[in-house]
Amino acid sequence: MTDRLHEELKKVKKKVIKMGSLAKEMLYKSVEALKNQDVKLADEVVSKKSELAEMDEKIEEEALQLIALYQPMAKDMRTIACILKMITYLTRIGRYGKDIANVAKELADKPHIAKLVEIPYMTELVCKMIDDALKAFEMENISLLEDFSERDDTIDALRYSIFRECITYMMENPANIKRCAHYAMIARYLERCADHACKMAEKIYYMVTGERKEIK
Amino acid sequence: MSDFAIETKKLRIYYGENEIIKGIDLKVPKNVVFALMGPSGCGKSTLLRAFNRLLELNKEARVEGEVLILGKNVYGNGVNPIDVRKQVGMVFQYPNPFPHLSIYDNVAIGLKLNHLVKSKEELDERVKWALEKAFLWDEVKGRLDDYPASLSGGQKQRLVIARALALKPKILLMDEPTANVDPIGTRKIEELLFELKREYTIVLVTHEPMQAARVSDYVGFLYLGKLVEVGLTREIFEKPKHELTEKYVTGVLV
Repeated sequence: MTDRLHEELKKVKKKVIKMGSLAKEMLYKSVEALKNQDVKLADEVVSKKSELAEMDEKIEEEALQLIALYQPMAKDMRTIACILKMITYLTRIGRYGKDIANVAKELADKPHIAKLVEIPYMTELVCKMIDDALKAFEMENISLLEDFSERDDTIDALRYSIFRECITYMMENPANIKRCAHYAMIARYLERCADHACKMAEKIYYMVTGERKEIK
Repeated sequence: MSDFAIETKKLRIYYGENEIIKGIDLKVPKNVVFALMGPSGCGKSTLLRAFNRLLELNKEARVEGEVLILGKNVYGNGVNPIDVRKQVGMVFQYPNPFPHLSIYDNVAIGLKLNHLVKSKEELDERVKWALEKAFLWDEVKGRLDDYPASLSGGQKQRLVIARALALKPKILLMDEPTANVDPIGTRKIEELLFELKREYTIVLVTHEPMQAARVSDYVGFLYLGKLVEVGLTREIFEKPKHELTEKYVTGVLV
């Protein structure tokens, strides 16, 4: 009976990891599309939207079924609680990817200002956080989450620096306003994605240890 | 007066040569439902029977250590086990009303035998009171002279609970009281436990972790005669401290 629960739980966990890589890919590729002004790639990201939503729904349904059928306890229950939260965060991340991809299409006609400021670098850092959260979830290894607070501080600092830089370009030339306003928004999206990675880290920490820990 | 309903100190129980309970220090607070859970054969029922000295009806059983009921050692010199059992009522796994006594007499018998009431009116009142406490009154008030054979399993079990309550014990011991009761009857008994703990301390033995989770405030996990972990129910089921408890509540340990 419970071995079946553990088998089923393993399968659902795998689906979460798969959904996680999709969400992260959407985010990563959206910035690639932006950087390379690749409308085709941007379209591809936007088209993944429904796949992501389906995974979210399917995993939620399966997780709830496990609760109904097996009344899981202790770590099993914490794992399911973690999964239910994670899929929401992952959905948010993937959808920010979609939003950035739409901007990428709009900004594909003219060259970028200041090589997209620090957006590509910020994206690398955020994607690495998402990756580490997914790995920590898969291997139930919280050591990968230890420095999330510092990493999040770096992301916040980057967002602010991008914001100030964009203001400067806007002041220099009003023609830059639209483009730079988009950059500032994208930096904000990326910062939110890092926050979601931190929230995932909190839930994974809870899943593994049973303790609640706030990552600030 | 002690703060605890039940307290055991270095309690060891042997059946012949075999040590069944291996040194247990347990504290059960007052007015709670305390669930003892663990796999079959871990000593749950044995431990429960030590609390009201029912164990000594078995000639092979030997008890070492102390069991304090409301601060008083029940294994002390000169303590009469009958007096202990008046304070500590018990409900068993199989509903065991006296088949040859009416529903009324099943509840009344303990009161009569112990001369606890002075008049027929008082007896009537106490029987009604006990049946009401056991949530059974409305279902049997029109047929108090019937025999318990006409009752369902769940009703029989509530009749037995009423019989125990009639003596106004302070503590109620229950050994898998719903093991032989259907789901609806089980739910009624579980609701009853919730009501009863306002006035009584209930120690419930269960081999079903889900039941412990539903009805108890505290859980003690017993494994191979040792108390592995005691804690608030919500903590035991959310994040048990001990690996064995984790294994038991997630169903890995059988």
